[in-house]
Amino acid sequence: MTTPAPTAAPALRVRDLSVTFTGPRGAVTAAEGITFDLARGEVLGLVGESGSGKSTVGLAAMGLHDPARTRIAGSLEVGGTQVVGACDAELRALRGSRVAMVFQDALAALSPFHPVGAQLAEAYRVHHKGAPRAEVRDRAVDMLERVGIAAARARDYPHQFSGGMRQRVVIAMALINSPDVLIADEPTTALDARVQRQVLDLLDELRREHGTAVLLVTHDVGVVAHATDRVLVMRDSLQVESGPTERLLTAPEHPYTRALIGAAPTLRTVPGTRLPTVEEPEPKPRTAARAVVADARPLAEVTDLHVEFGGGRTWSGRREPTRAVRGISLSVREGETLGLVGESGSGKSTTARVLAGLQRPTSGEVRFEGRDISGAAGDTALRRELSRHAQLVFQDPYASLNPRRTVEQIVTTPLRVHTRADAAERRERAVELLEQVGLSADHLGRYPHEFSGGQRQRVGIARALALRPRLIIADEPVSALDVSVQAQVLNLLMDLRDDLGLSLLFVSHDLAVVRHFCDRVAVMRHGEIVETGDRDEVFDRPSAAYTRELLAATV
Amino acid sequence: MLSYLLRRAVQAAVVLLAISATAFALFYAAPSNPAVIACGPKCDATQLAAVRESMGLDEPILAQYADYVRGFVTGRTISDVDGTPIACDAPCLGYSYALHEPVRAAITSRFPVTLSLAGGALAVIVVAGIGAGFVSALRRGRPTDRVLSGFTLLGASVQIYFLGYALQYLLVYRTGWFALPGYTPPGEDLGAWAAGLLLPCLVLGFVNAAMFARLSRAQMLEVMHEGYVRTARGKGLGPLRTHLKYTSRGAAAPLVQLLGLEVGALLGGAFITETVFGLGGVGKLAVDAVVQNDLPTVVGTVLLAAFFVVVFVALADLVVAWLDPRVRLA
Repeated sequence: MTTPAPTAAPALRVRDLSVTFTGPRGAVTAAEGITFDLARGEVLGLVGESGSGKSTVGLAAMGLHDPARTRIAGSLEVGGTQVVGACDAELRALRGSRVAMVFQDALAALSPFHPVGAQLAEAYRVHHKGAPRAEVRDRAVDMLERVGIAAARARDYPHQFSGGMRQRVVIAMALINSPDVLIADEPTTALDARVQRQVLDLLDELRREHGTAVLLVTHDVGVVAHATDRVLVMRDSLQVESGPTERLLTAPEHPYTRALIGAAPTLRTVPGTRLPTVEEPEPKPRTAARAVVADARPLAEVTDLHVEFGGGRTWSGRREPTRAVRGISLSVREGETLGLVGESGSGKSTTARVLAGLQRPTSGEVRFEGRDISGAAGDTALRRELSRHAQLVFQDPYASLNPRRTVEQIVTTPLRVHTRADAAERRERAVELLEQVGLSADHLGRYPHEFSGGQRQRVGIARALALRPRLIIADEPVSALDVSVQAQVLNLLMDLRDDLGLSLLFVSHDLAVVRHFCDRVAVMRHGEIVETGDRDEVFDRPSAAYTRELLAATV
Repeated sequence: MLSYLLRRAVQAAVVLLAISATAFALFYAAPSNPAVIACGPKCDATQLAAVRESMGLDEPILAQYADYVRGFVTGRTISDVDGTPIACDAPCLGYSYALHEPVRAAITSRFPVTLSLAGGALAVIVVAGIGAGFVSALRRGRPTDRVLSGFTLLGASVQIYFLGYALQYLLVYRTGWFALPGYTPPGEDLGAWAAGLLLPCLVLGFVNAAMFARLSRAQMLEVMHEGYVRTARGKGLGPLRTHLKYTSRGAAAPLVQLLGLEVGALLGGAFITETVFGLGGVGKLAVDAVVQNDLPTVVGTVLLAAFFVVVFVALADLVVAWLDPRVRLA
């Protein structure tokens, strides 16, 4: 990416910007002392973890904060026009015409009630009052075609498009008036790797065509490296460090930047090493290399597994079932970590649910320690027995912990269900578990909402470990977490599996994480396994074209 | 679409059959004898037996019910207390021995009152209820919101018979600002029709509007935080246009569904309002029939009310599907 020649006035000029939310429980400062310039045609990455204030800055540039509940100080100019303190009419003339925004979740950002063509046309019409209908329609259709969506689909509604296409629609809508500044807030975070790559490339092409300056808000260091000219790092509402992307990624000055860059494993990180975190920027190397017995016997396995949803006869005819899993065979061996990789909709979570005894297979064999468990989903006694030995860790630590129960109750529930331990014994075990996952006995009486995302995931892991299971099934356990928290949880899981000799089924869409964490890998696509093998084999010498495609798309 | 309508029609028929059967059964379980009431106090045993026979009460309950259903579908001939035959065309709802007229005629003659009252109340609900909720949400936390929320709380907590009598006393008898409530057919005198129904419609509407105001306020506040509302603002749309075009559309579904139920219920009769304002609508007919043990009228009015509820609930589903293309009728 080339840095364009500096011109007189920057597209976006921010000086000492601070944003404070005032609420009934006092004021919260979300951004403070932010200062930067964004030149025409430049891409600036605004990087930070959740709660760092990066999105707040983006919304401030759009003037989209609710004036009744927000105090904004400092200066923010779009092409010389002051946004801070501007009245609603001035802001409306600016929004969508000179500064536009692309949001993370395209499905939520598009109106479900209107066809996409009409939504694009409206964006144009708002700033071209009195334009003839034909001109508006042509402009909308041209823009859709420019982002690779056929004109015939202009009448379709957002829910009829795939995730990647929806994000293209949002981008087309933002750029229809050729704005000076585009604020892209995590534009590819919800997308699979291949689609993310396509969307980033499209964004870059359009930026060149329109000469638009882009403020790319993201938490993903990979995206920053791939798509930005300069970077500004934010932490806890403050600006930590800024500079050209190349220098910042190779020689970061601030320890936080260093930790942030190191925390996310890439396809070049040495697998299995301790990842640096913000608390521990230079971790001690692991003492012993991971030893996995090559021909260990399988602990859990499925053979020719099929899972179908929603088929069957209705009174108006036959409905075709959705075939989520189409005849796969895989096994998790004793003591190993198997990574199950795939894009959304590939059937990886369904497979995990079958192994956990939560989903009834349509056909095929499911065994745990050689015993048939295919009926576990419909047989309470069998599922209960299985759950002594196989436990789950979930993706979303916010949704998977009951907000009305204390940590002690959450962690000891499996003990109450499965053992005869009395209250004192259960508490003793709970303390032991919390210490194992890096929490302490002080946390017993607290509720989930008092914890951060990473701490909550630790509680979820402690709960899973309570019965000393042999197998942990972890479905995207780190994908909802910030990179530095993800590093902490991965480090913890690596320690635990070595200390406890656990076997893991690790479901993830993130190839870099899987490469770092897993011993063996199975790649799924459309309900089938396209490739399976040892980590190095799959990553260094992928045999399936699809695996190579996935690897190439990983930024 | 066609299969949806067909399914809904079958469902409606089943519901109406079940309701009419239940009404029949409950009525027969009640410890009273309709023949005694129809015949009058000076009836001797022979006369009573004759009346029982002419009313069909000597037959088993299942046979009577079968007669009723057959009459509804094909029409039938009913004999009065004194044995004179009365033709009752399909859909025959039976003959009321208390009113001495066919039930369908009794309902048809009173239905315009109920229809006018329901229509007026509905207008009040939409304007004062949903409208107030909309404005409240846009002015959240400001004085407008507080005042409107106070009003809706008042509406939710006050009873029609109190509010109706109080307002009638104040606005009609004391000040004369409103005309005396009553029903004049609109074909006769449109002005008198409107004047006579104004107060009853306002009262009935206001009391029912409270729920809609609270629901629409809550819905609007929730939808305001949706991404597509922010996108609309990001395009440069003004707040009012954004909320009219996007927020209210997103907030509409539960309101439409509740409105469907409400319209169905209103068309089934509003007994208290009709009584308070001395209007002879379907609601009063129904309650009077229950008090007088007038089985055919009871079953007829109950079926009418159920019919409207079933129809308007189905209509509401169609409207929701039209508002939101993601909804699939099932």
